[in-house]
Amino acid sequence: MTDYPIEIDRVSKVFGKFRAVDDLSFQVPRGTIFGLLGPNGAGKTTTIRMVMNITAPDSGEIRVLGTPMQRATQNRIGYLPEERGLYRKMKVLDHLYFLAAIKEVDRETARNRIGEWLDRMELRPWLHKKVDELSKGMQQKVQFIATIVHDPDILILDEVFSGLDPINTALIKEYLLDFRKRGKTIVFSTHVLEQAEKLCDEICLLARSKKILEGNLKELKRSHAAGQLRMSIAGSAPDLATLAGVRSVTPVNGAFVVSLESGTDRRDFLRRALELCEITAFSDREPELEEIYLAAVQNAGIETRQIE
Amino acid sequence: MNWKKVLAVVRREYVERIRTKAFWIGTLIIPFLFIALIGIQIAVARKAGGERRVAVVDRTGHLFAPLQAEITRLTTPSATEERIRPAEPDEVERSASEYRRNIRWQLENRPASGDLENVKEELRKEVVAKKIHAYVVLDPALLAKGRVEYYSTTVSEFSAMNQLERAINQVLLREKIAARGLPVDIANDLEKRIDLRPFKVTAQGTAEEKGAGIVAALVFFFLMYSTFFMYGYQVMRGVIEEKNNRIVEVIIASVRPTELMLGKIFGIGLVGLTQYLVWALVATNLSLPAIAGAFASGSDMIPKVPASLIGYFILFFICGYFMYASIYTAIAAPFNTDQEAQQFAMIPMVMIISSVAVYPAVLNNPSGGIAVVFSLLPFTAPLIMFLRTSLSPVPGWQILVSIALLAATTVALAWFAGRIYRIGILMYGKKPTIPEIVRWVRYKPGKVSQPSAPTAA
Repeated sequence: MTDYPIEIDRVSKVFGKFRAVDDLSFQVPRGTIFGLLGPNGAGKTTTIRMVMNITAPDSGEIRVLGTPMQRATQNRIGYLPEERGLYRKMKVLDHLYFLAAIKEVDRETARNRIGEWLDRMELRPWLHKKVDELSKGMQQKVQFIATIVHDPDILILDEVFSGLDPINTALIKEYLLDFRKRGKTIVFSTHVLEQAEKLCDEICLLARSKKILEGNLKELKRSHAAGQLRMSIAGSAPDLATLAGVRSVTPVNGAFVVSLESGTDRRDFLRRALELCEITAFSDREPELEEIYLAAVQNAGIETRQIE
Repeated sequence: MNWKKVLAVVRREYVERIRTKAFWIGTLIIPFLFIALIGIQIAVARKAGGERRVAVVDRTGHLFAPLQAEITRLTTPSATEERIRPAEPDEVERSASEYRRNIRWQLENRPASGDLENVKEELRKEVVAKKIHAYVVLDPALLAKGRVEYYSTTVSEFSAMNQLERAINQVLLREKIAARGLPVDIANDLEKRIDLRPFKVTAQGTAEEKGAGIVAALVFFFLMYSTFFMYGYQVMRGVIEEKNNRIVEVIIASVRPTELMLGKIFGIGLVGLTQYLVWALVATNLSLPAIAGAFASGSDMIPKVPASLIGYFILFFICGYFMYASIYTAIAAPFNTDQEAQQFAMIPMVMIISSVAVYPAVLNNPSGGIAVVFSLLPFTAPLIMFLRTSLSPVPGWQILVSIALLAATTVALAWFAGRIYRIGILMYGKKPTIPEIVRWVRYKPGKVSQPSAPTAA
């Protein structure tokens, strides 16, 4: 088995005059939750559709489980598109059976998995109801069950949490983490950064059809916040900015974020700071994903106003 | 092609449709409507009897009395009718003669003196005022030319007019015979007409054709005709519904567009066949003859259907349905609403209707030029070739050529529809233009040197 279940290699896609995806490359490591992030219209959905072989790229290559998308591969992927829908007049159970059947899941297996999930999501009373008698949130749940009914190796989820209540969001998060624990891979697209921040191991940031940032989220955070410390101080605030090697000090929620000049030794700084005041808490500062995102967008020369 | 997946789609389309109330209501109501229609026709025909007050302007001065006698004789049971037609009359004739007897003619002699135009004007007013139903002018000059004029507000009662015409002819015949000094009895002999009875000769033998075979062929013809419409339209609706629901993207992640399309067409076609099967079972087993029997004279009109008719029916139904369903698929795929697709739905509609436009010509001469041409043209072949095979023996090569052309067209259209479908089902928003659709058909995914890609909305 390949270490990168999904590889995207210099892929472009043009719709008429609109360049939806421009020379995009990334690799999704196995056993990770990979976040495909970016504002609306950045090219996330088009990229996902190309991975699913729903639309073909104009140039470049996409490999799924080591090969261009094949029939057998298709059955190993669970796909939840952004534009979701169900046959309105079908009964919930029949609908799930049908979606399992087109993934070539035999009825017995389908019955067991569907049963388990109907219980977990408390959908059992709705089993024989027609889809259009269900609330939107319940339809979402049905859709999620349909996505995982064939126990896929790869999950591709486009805005999976939109429209779900906190309880079911938690339920699905739990499933996703368990899914990853089993060595499986999730590609997860969203424009809600807080969700990505909590779940993703790896991210790829798209804006205006281009990749502007990619990598392991922890590493990205570390490098982004290199030389930044978070300090809490008892008593009145001293003038930390006067210390040598300090670039800036910003008060944040009753604490301070101290940005050091490169080459400044942290122990050195700490020693000098202790002479000035009583430090009650001290840590490397963990930047918010949003901060990284905005910085990356700025670096790419795209004004945030334009893309949001 | 993964047939397991196709089958899953077929199953869904079939089961979901069979389960709807609409299917069963349609299946059960249509035969009833059909029977009701026959019943109404019979009832209307009977109602067509009743009193007819007709004024006779007898300018010959001596024809009125014999005409009145003759018309009474004609409408009295066990009179001429039975003598003229000694062979047992079949159902159609019996019902026709029955209702003819239902007409009670009231002839009134009107003065023929004075200006004819004045007389006619008076009578016209009476007709308009519904005092009389009609008036007839027996004029020597016109009679010499073989004409009698009949004036009425309704001039489409062919059966009644026919009866009057027959009576007048009879009277004139007697007059001529009397004028030559021949015995009047001879008139009855002379009135006897031969009756050309058709016997249909087939490879299996000879059977008397009482018109039931043709009725059956036409019933099947119109059945097929309406199914092409109904189920073709259902295919169109189904495609648009999937787009509208946005379910299509989920399905396309598991099933190829071609598989989805085929599954849909097969599934809906099976629904049509099921409907036929239900009707066939109902018709052969239970109620139909009984119900029809309630309409007395209708019972023998239920045709006995030969096996070959059913064989050809199924063959041409499948080919034709598949062809039209492909066209409807191609039409539906680019659009998001029924309304948008509607204007293009005219195309298959005109194709289907053109078969109905030519069928009388085919009926008239099943081996004539028109019949041959339209039974070979793929768009009319399913209906017209089917009709021809049920009317008269068709040369084997014509059937083969017809089916070959039909099959080739169907495959080509299915391919074409598949190409449009593949791209169209994921296109939302703006209505695509024809040049865009042409690009979809030519579009080859995955080739680096492809022309410009399809336009998204």
